[in-house]
Amino acid sequence: MINTIILIIGKVIIKVSKLLNFGSGSTWPGHIALKFNDKFIEDVVNKNKNLKIIIIAGTNGKTTSTALLKFLLEKSGKKIFTNREGANLLNGVASSIIKNSNVFSQLKYDFAIFESDEFNLPLLLKKVSPDKILILNLFRDQLDRYGEVNTIALKWLESLKTLPAKTEVFINGDDPQLYFIGSSLIQKVQYFGVETKLMKLKNIPHDVDSIYCPVCLSLLHYHQLSFAHLGDFYCSNCQFKRGVVNDFSDKKISYPMSGLYNVYNTNAVLLLLKSLVKVEIKDVNQWLKTFAPVFGRQEEIVYKNRKIFILLSKNPAGFNQSIQTVKKILKSKRANFLIILNNKIPDGLDVSWIWDVDFKPILDVADNVYVSGDRVYDLNLRLRYENGKKNIATFENLPDAVESIVNKTKEGERLFILPTYSAMLEVRKILLGRKLL
Amino acid sequence: MKTINIGWLYPDLMSTYGDRGNIIALSYRLKKRGIKPIVHKISVNEPENLISKMDIIFMGGAQDKQQEIVNADLKNNKGKYLKTAIKNGVPSLFVCGAYQFLGKYYKTADGIIIDGLGIFDLYTENPGINFSRCIGNIIINPNISFDGNDKKKFFVGFENHGGRTYLADKKLAFAKVVKGFGNNEEDRTEGIFYKNSFGTYLHGPILPKNPELADYLIGKAVERKYGKKIKLKKIDDRWENKARDFVVSKL
Repeated sequence: MINTIILIIGKVIIKVSKLLNFGSGSTWPGHIALKFNDKFIEDVVNKNKNLKIIIIAGTNGKTTSTALLKFLLEKSGKKIFTNREGANLLNGVASSIIKNSNVFSQLKYDFAIFESDEFNLPLLLKKVSPDKILILNLFRDQLDRYGEVNTIALKWLESLKTLPAKTEVFINGDDPQLYFIGSSLIQKVQYFGVETKLMKLKNIPHDVDSIYCPVCLSLLHYHQLSFAHLGDFYCSNCQFKRGVVNDFSDKKISYPMSGLYNVYNTNAVLLLLKSLVKVEIKDVNQWLKTFAPVFGRQEEIVYKNRKIFILLSKNPAGFNQSIQTVKKILKSKRANFLIILNNKIPDGLDVSWIWDVDFKPILDVADNVYVSGDRVYDLNLRLRYENGKKNIATFENLPDAVESIVNKTKEGERLFILPTYSAMLEVRKILLGRKLL
Repeated sequence: MKTINIGWLYPDLMSTYGDRGNIIALSYRLKKRGIKPIVHKISVNEPENLISKMDIIFMGGAQDKQQEIVNADLKNNKGKYLKTAIKNGVPSLFVCGAYQFLGKYYKTADGIIIDGLGIFDLYTENPGINFSRCIGNIIINPNISFDGNDKKKFFVGFENHGGRTYLADKKLAFAKVVKGFGNNEEDRTEGIFYKNSFGTYLHGPILPKNPELADYLIGKAVERKYGKKIKLKKIDDRWENKARDFVVSKL
């Protein structure tokens, strides 16, 4: 009964907030629901025995992978709902349930896909027991909020161990720490990765987090690496080494987005997809060609006849990957860049991480570099220390920075914007003139 | 051309959050003075006596697991060379985990006591998992004066540590806490200053936004290596000061 009332009230709130343009109501109906009944999520989910639950967790690529999986499942005729990413995960999950359930707590869908950040995964697993769980990666991100990477990995392992034996787990097999987690579980575990041909690095980069052997604590070695600590690892002291991963190298996949990190995301999604529905790879390849990236992730916006690419860049691993992607898109051409560093709650208060990013490749191909955001002067220092000769146009005010660099960019020329999370929302609002979340 | 050897201890293990910015800042400011920086990464596999050849030493913070590996290597191999270098006055900087290592001991959240190198007269205790970590932007007021800095400036950074550090004598402190936690929440001290070495909880990283400290390390290194006090050429620190003033203005 209480849940029926919650659902009615919640649905009214969502409607009203849409009408009054308060945003899409993606977290606070859930907040209210959980206040009235802290078991709201599990109550409703348990009533829907036929609904299969999928959780996607990791530091980078959650939103893209969730969108891609939803897209492919819908193409194969299934009905799916997802939570919207947001600051408070459980509220977001509860809100998505309110929105998609009828007042009798029935969720008439085949699958629910919930994306979860590092910190909230154990909390979410206490509420719902997923049929499938995908662990994408674990990079340093917002240590001030989430704590150390090792601590998170330990908490993940503990909570994954509490899941029923029938849960299927999909894990990044190129990540030594995650591979170790996978090998410690009793559940069925499948690994995804990329083929070693795509691993171009010989030496361990400095944005790494897991380079000691999780078994014997010796330094780990790599035959080759893709990026950060992902690669073909082995321990020279004990037997620990990379196992067999599904890399889909024999399938001629049409990857829908640039960047090695999107090969990881796509392979992860394909592995998961295979376990959920029967599909032909040639159909999947056709569908992949029509997939459009999620907002702010390699999103192309045309503004005053300039082609603007937005690449969300919120931590060292993500940033270094964005830079590689920019290089790939540009080939040998040049472009203008606007980099935006905020330190609001969703970005993390600590901006030290920019010193782990290699900005040289950007400065090498940039005609003009503009910086803005809450911590614009930190960014100015970082870039000048990389290359003292380059002029770094520094703007405290973001709209001014956008106007100025757009004017500097000739029609038909390329402009790349690399923002942190809250900066991405702000810059999209400027370019598109409307609020997003 | 003058050269300065910078020893970066355990860059693969003790470099959690932007610590290499300190190496970048030192190198940048040395180059501006026409001095060639040579950065030596000294980790577990490098020979221990390499430390004796360094003009500046830096070591950053790390996660607990990595610290175990480093602790073993320091105790069995490199610790005595590091101790000698510091006692001889090699300018050096130890941030967060490295700072704690150099004290007498570190008591973990589970109450286990890990011996430190005992170079700094201090100890660190983690009060347990029920106590929150000391996290946030921090402003400090250094107890020592720096060249080219008539009015003592504030230094700024970001701290993130579970352990609370207690100095044998508060006079040893590197700075007073203006805003934030510092060594512990109680006595308003931050870090330690000993011979020409600094231990501190300030990440950020500390050197880019507090160039006086970078120049202090560089000045001492040049003086020790080339035998006389050299006046370092002034650098335009407009942006450095803006970045620092911004943090101060927000707190």
